[in-house]
Amino acid sequence: MKNITILSGKGGVGKSSVTASLAVLLSKKHKIIAADCDVDAANLALVLGLKKYDKKETIQTSEKAKLIPKKCISCKKCLNTCIFGAITWDDKKNKPIFDKYLCEGCGACELVCPANAIRLYKVQNAEIGTGKTRYGFSIVSGQLKMGESGSGKVVTAVKSRVENMAKNKKYDFAIFDSAPGIGCPVVASIQGSDFVVAMTEPNPATVSDLKRVLQVVGYFRIPYGIIINRWDLNKEYADKIVAFAKKNKIPVLGKIPYDRAFVDALVNLTPIVTFNRKYEQLFLKILNNILNKL
Amino acid sequence: MKIAVTGGKGGTGKSTVATALAVELAKKQKILLVDADVDCPNDHIILSLKLKKEKDIFQVKPVWDFKKCIKCGKCSKVCRANAILFIKDKYPIFVQDLCNGCTACILVCPAKAISRGKQQIGTILSGRKYNVDLFTGEMRIGYEEASPIVNALKKYIAKREKKYDHIIIDTAAGTHCNVISALMGCDLAIAVTEPTPLGAHDLDLILNLTKVLKIQSNIVLNRADIGKKELVTKIAKKHNTKIIAEIPYRKEILEQYSKGKPIKDENIAEIIRKIKKI
Repeated sequence: MKNITILSGKGGVGKSSVTASLAVLLSKKHKIIAADCDVDAANLALVLGLKKYDKKETIQTSEKAKLIPKKCISCKKCLNTCIFGAITWDDKKNKPIFDKYLCEGCGACELVCPANAIRLYKVQNAEIGTGKTRYGFSIVSGQLKMGESGSGKVVTAVKSRVENMAKNKKYDFAIFDSAPGIGCPVVASIQGSDFVVAMTEPNPATVSDLKRVLQVVGYFRIPYGIIINRWDLNKEYADKIVAFAKKNKIPVLGKIPYDRAFVDALVNLTPIVTFNRKYEQLFLKILNNILNKL
Repeated sequence: MKIAVTGGKGGTGKSTVATALAVELAKKQKILLVDADVDCPNDHIILSLKLKKEKDIFQVKPVWDFKKCIKCGKCSKVCRANAILFIKDKYPIFVQDLCNGCTACILVCPAKAISRGKQQIGTILSGRKYNVDLFTGEMRIGYEEASPIVNALKKYIAKREKKYDHIIIDTAAGTHCNVISALMGCDLAIAVTEPTPLGAHDLDLILNLTKVLKIQSNIVLNRADIGKKELVTKIAKKHNTKIIAEIPYRKEILEQYSKGKPIKDENIAEIIRKIKKI
């Protein structure tokens, strides 16, 4: 199984739309599985028109600290140890207060407490959904629960679910839709990929974010290429991106024009290649460019 | 007042709205704009200003003294960030980029073989234009934990907050720890979204989060005339909140954006009027 990951640095550049269309085309000739690694705000299933997952399960990849008040000797060691700002002091009760939204579950406070008054407990912090799209292939999505942390570990759980399913089904390809940014969920998405598709747009902010995320991809020594979305909104700037790519020997996998049909496709919960057939050729070309690099 | 500009989904126009709001408000008041999207900060690009470094952000990095190390593997066991690899009878291997600086390894080591070093994890930068003071946090590339940088940024500005009439905090996309850190302590959240199923879906998530954090929220609908507005009104109703302004999809706005200029739009003034009422 070859793993292809789509990312962008900046959000809203078209990752999920492009992932959905590439998955639909890829599934016509190959056995594939799609996975949504944007566990903060998972959207890929929506774009593929999946209304309900066949299976949903809760996972625990995060821990939080809590106080056993009776045992606490008010030494404040935990307060001075927590680097995440999750512990504040209740002067009235002379006891620590743990903020569950800021607690990273590192366990430092538990270790430093001389009275054994702090325990870490496991949190059900995410759900993993699996379902079959109307295009015949399966999708795995992770969704972080509200206010929970540990998105990188949830992405890793999504990916191991894909690996497990692949043991029986023997997929040719797995296609992963990453979160925006360059932090832990993105790094977890990149890990183990055979090829990375980086999406960008012709404006300075998006290109700045592209360059940041490409540096991260570079650490992993994974081959990558870029897609310029809505390239015709600023053709001059798009040319600059092409020149930048050429200079750095980065393949440009394709250029996608701006078209309101993309928004209409989203509203209709249909990938653009199915919604408007005229885009099939363009996306096939992009797909072939990717497959040639693998 | 401390106003967060957020939205859940990426690319809905958070930074565009945050910068425009700051520039407009700064015509009469002292405004501090904080770019808390430390993964990929963009406010300075939209404002076309050159940032200068305020200070680097450091966090604790464990440093092993192998002369003292007894190869017990406890440091690896307590490290929930999986930054310490341990193979029996070998010295532990440290993966710096995964370390979140929690110090659990230092605390657990029975041989006191680990001491407190430091590593740079990000930078705080600043700039000024259009009468707006901008403070930006930037995560070091390769480092994975965004929230310590957001926390350091917020601590840094806390000392300066009094000088300003309003503080606008531009958050990252998503709903996890870096967004939570940015939202905490804000008096009002403006959720910027777009009228698509994705925009509505992620708006629902972010409004759930602001509710949990007890922050009053309002919606700004960007690219309001494309897609399907009912999707967003439905979510607004569910959360008992309102769309306080709509920004139409216009080529001029995109052009201003791609040239690095804050947008000028009568709808921004509308947002300000609505905020003043709140």
